[in-house]
Amino acid sequence: MSYPVFRYVAPRTLQEAIGFLHEAKRSGKKTKVLAGGTDLMVQLRERRIAVDLVVDISRIPILQRIERMGNEIRIGPTVTHAMLASSELIREYVGVLSEAARTVGSPQIRNQGTLGGNIVNASPAADTIPALVILDAKLILTGASGERSLSITDFFTGPYQTVIETDELLTGIVVPLPPPSGRAVFLKLARRKAVAIARMNLACMLYYNRQKEVFEWVRLCVGSSTPRPVRMTSAEQALIGRPFSDRVLQEAGRAAAEQMVQLSGLRSSTAYKKPVVGDLVMRVVKLAVEKG
Amino acid sequence: MDGENLGNDVVEISMVVNGESVVIRTSPHRTLLSILREDLGLTGVKEGCGVGECGACTILMDGKTVNACLVLAPKADGRTIVTIEGLGDTDQLHPLQQAFIDHGAVQCGFCTPGMILSAKALLDENPNPTRLEIREGISGNLCRCTGYQQIVDAIESVVKREGGEGS
Repeated sequence: MSYPVFRYVAPRTLQEAIGFLHEAKRSGKKTKVLAGGTDLMVQLRERRIAVDLVVDISRIPILQRIERMGNEIRIGPTVTHAMLASSELIREYVGVLSEAARTVGSPQIRNQGTLGGNIVNASPAADTIPALVILDAKLILTGASGERSLSITDFFTGPYQTVIETDELLTGIVVPLPPPSGRAVFLKLARRKAVAIARMNLACMLYYNRQKEVFEWVRLCVGSSTPRPVRMTSAEQALIGRPFSDRVLQEAGRAAAEQMVQLSGLRSSTAYKKPVVGDLVMRVVKLAVEKG
Repeated sequence: MDGENLGNDVVEISMVVNGESVVIRTSPHRTLLSILREDLGLTGVKEGCGVGECGACTILMDGKTVNACLVLAPKADGRTIVTIEGLGDTDQLHPLQQAFIDHGAVQCGFCTPGMILSAKALLDENPNPTRLEIREGISGNLCRCTGYQQIVDAIESVVKREGGEGS
């Protein structure tokens, strides 16, 4: 099996990497950034993309770190799913991201594939994205003229489409520490138990006030079901200020299903996904409440 | 910087493969899988699907399992690689290799090298896995003939032997 011909560079610093991206854009060269390679190598093999230059960012130490800075966890884009799954810092403060990372692909894929790659590839079925959405994550994009920061929900414009420029690099994923009252759950539905692409993947974080018997706040994201990841605000609103009961859960499930259809339109999969999304929303909310 | 010559069309890859240092000069648009098989003759590394789903090309890179078909060759520069050829030979089999024979965990054998390397990585990290952990450990390796029962049995037998009774 032959791969398309391209040139290659593995810069050791961020400045160098940005320099290559900038220079390539200026001279009209098509560039692809290589992190873990689990998506890019498949796209190259199947010749779905044309590329003149591959910029391998996996040898830039500053992009491989996970660190706590004040009230935020900062994750470098070339942190692998295996590192996310085993990091003490991630498990302690943003465990839902660790749970999501643990469901990605196989052990081999988790050893290679990176968080940054999962985000920039922008598959609607990416498992880490719903977790990052409910964690209110911000992305830092760095280009020759400086950096910009944007909310993860503003990053995607459609399936496999994002706002990143060809001379920009995703250089950081910033996750604010969630409120201590929050309880979070990640749930994945797929055709097999392992090594499967999600049919649907949900992340939910909420605070259920047991004294007042009401949901104080809820953040819900259903992946693989909308053209770009969004919070399921109608389902959130159906829960907030109301008690944990079958009727309230059913209303939230129905609201999420309606929002999905509104955003995605009627598709061949709708007959299946509509009832399932409602059911999964009820399940994920219940699991989060049961976390105490 | 001249846009035409941005980046390299030849790369030098220095790596340690099965305990031996090797240096390869090659074009960058190749996979580590093709380097191992075609340049180094390590045909125990199999190409199954070529897209990272079947695990037949599983190798250890710095002690961790990766699909060699998804590793762009220059990524191996500076790394330590272990293939099935580095585990044992016909005179002295690795305990996992012997266990696969003893438990009938090999039929066509195509998945076996990758399967054994996944098992090795699992046992290196977790010397005493449960059956469920073994199944998770080999979840990235497909077998289409033997079935997984004998494979899990084979790996479990090595755990029992190395872990001692009752552990």
